[in-house]
Amino acid sequence: MAETVAGAGTDGVATTAAGAVEHVIDSRPETRREWLRSMWNHRSVLSMLARADFHVRYKRAALGVAWAVAVPVIQAGVLAFVFSRVIRVQSTANFGAYVLGGVLAWSYFSGTIATGATAIVDGSGLTDKVWFPRALLSVVPAIANMVGLSVSFAVIVVAMPILGADYSIRLLLIPLGILLLVSFTASLALVLSALHVYFRDVKFLVQAALLVWFYVTPIAYPKGLLKSLSSVIDFNPMTGIVSMFQVAVAGPQPHWGRAVGISVAFTLVLMAVALETHRRHDRLFVDLL
Amino acid sequence: MTAAVRMTGVGKRYWQLSEQAMLLRSLIPFARPTKKELWALRDFDLELEQGDVLGIIGRNGAGKTTLLRMLAGVTRPTEGSVRIRGRVAPLISVGVGFHKEMSGRENVYVNGMLLGLTKAEIDARFEAIVEFAELADFIDTPVKFYSSGMFMRLGFSVAVHTDPSVLLVDEVLAVGDLAFQMKCLERMKDIREAGTTIVLVSHSMPAVRLLCPRAIVVRHGHLEYDGDTETAIAKHHELLWAEAEDGASARQVGDQAFTGGATVIRKELFEGDKPIRVASGEPITFRMAVRFERPVTSPMFAFTIRSDDGTLAYAIQTPMKLEHRSFDKGDECEVELRFEPRLGGGNYRLTTVIASSEGRDLLCSDEIGSAFNVPARLWRQGVAELDGVVRVNGTELVEQRTWRLGETSSDARSS
Repeated sequence: MAETVAGAGTDGVATTAAGAVEHVIDSRPETRREWLRSMWNHRSVLSMLARADFHVRYKRAALGVAWAVAVPVIQAGVLAFVFSRVIRVQSTANFGAYVLGGVLAWSYFSGTIATGATAIVDGSGLTDKVWFPRALLSVVPAIANMVGLSVSFAVIVVAMPILGADYSIRLLLIPLGILLLVSFTASLALVLSALHVYFRDVKFLVQAALLVWFYVTPIAYPKGLLKSLSSVIDFNPMTGIVSMFQVAVAGPQPHWGRAVGISVAFTLVLMAVALETHRRHDRLFVDLL
Repeated sequence: MTAAVRMTGVGKRYWQLSEQAMLLRSLIPFARPTKKELWALRDFDLELEQGDVLGIIGRNGAGKTTLLRMLAGVTRPTEGSVRIRGRVAPLISVGVGFHKEMSGRENVYVNGMLLGLTKAEIDARFEAIVEFAELADFIDTPVKFYSSGMFMRLGFSVAVHTDPSVLLVDEVLAVGDLAFQMKCLERMKDIREAGTTIVLVSHSMPAVRLLCPRAIVVRHGHLEYDGDTETAIAKHHELLWAEAEDGASARQVGDQAFTGGATVIRKELFEGDKPIRVASGEPITFRMAVRFERPVTSPMFAFTIRSDDGTLAYAIQTPMKLEHRSFDKGDECEVELRFEPRLGGGNYRLTTVIASSEGRDLLCSDEIGSAFNVPARLWRQGVAELDGVVRVNGTELVEQRTWRLGETSSDARSS
């Protein structure tokens, strides 16, 4: 009975005044079904915002999207050098490919979370005028940055022979890894951005947490280095996610399947929490912005 | 037929925190910041038929913005419900979501989609949008190179081309130059005739008067008045002045001491014998009855006429120390001020001061005064009406169009 609301009905239904759908807004949040449907109906707004975001970010840079690859490659190069030559970590044969795979995934994650966590507050100029599910704003960076992520992995795959890595069937893990990484990142951004509306400390907590998180995820060092701790580190959801990319480009590592399983479970729970949080709080955010 | 907009018992509560919420503090049960509830809107009922044009007036903080946000579906009411048929296009501030780096063309698409159009719908309207905004030559230029006028023209153009069922307008008629404003008004008239319901929030009473046959006055989150625009505007001003009166507790005016001693018991503005609120151009007579609470000899009467924004239009007083007559305690007298309203369009307020003969004691100060409106004449501004005439090569240039939204336009020639 209660239709999802006002504002943008991008469902293409002719909404001329006569015989138009009646929208009702009252104190109840939408039902889960209505909520999912209104998100779906606004998918074109999401893709359009993501395109605008991507466009604006790289438009004025001469190298454009190449920067999305160049920055993490430089970071990976430095890390690989420091950990293999200076600290002399005992490494597997393709340590370069291993670090590169992990760093590219991580740089997508940290870059997306940093902007996604503040997206609702930053986008308040949009949403206090016209309604669409604000959850879309938090997902925009996750979608927009996918371009850079995909290009990065295309480049890495081409460069594998230079790094001395062999092509194998494991490369099929890359698209699956991207799917999991994007889902996890988007879900986390959703939860954090909702929290950030209420507590502005979140922005800084996220910056601090990302610094620590990078080092408790086996990216710059092989997982085997941690010995007995390596099973504990599997409960870090990013461990399983980066391992998919590392395995794809640099070969198998100990019990990575279990880590992936934990990441998948974690992602599903987080996604449910994220959707529910936004369903309940969506139309209350504006009161706090 | 069902109403286009129906608000039933709508209330919106905000929590006013004594300090900024902080993550750590809110986790500690005893240290939670105290919060105070604040109803921005309460027991609000409103019904609009398709094609209605409604003005919303009220002072800042009265709840107008909350009301618009509720209609736009941006915020959820705490109690009651809002029902709207069809699509709402908010024109709250033009250019929602404009990206400065992107071209005008790209921004039309972003903006249009945010307002609820599909890509195909924007494709179909694109030409019309650009043409209306008069930006055909600049449409592929990044909007950061636009002047503020161009920027607003584009934003307004997109919003009025979304064919909404309900159009929410908040102080945007100050867009661009006068010619473009007229174009906007004409466009609003067209979309109203196509059946769109328009809700306009404005602090500009001339704009409300020009566009809306009906207006509501919102005060402290309540619906104070709902009806014809002239009465609504008069009501709004009465409230403003009554509140200003409450605030002015210091009864010291210049070097005059407020002693009291006289009361205005009746006051009214007339044209001839007819009480008025809107001046027609005929001489106006202000009549008031005053009662004295103590003996007073030859009191002095002073009158002031000020416009909306406080500009002094005219002041007149009886000569100081002019002997006329003495009043005893309980005496009443009739005071009359007659004047020609040679005033520019706008709202005016006539206030009265009664002082002792030498002007030292202030017996009565009617700060609320009496309100009246002088209908605005197009293309003229200022508090004085000097009946100017412009001729070019001997030909008088006179406005021949009218823009009143509530009525159909005719070629009324005002000369």
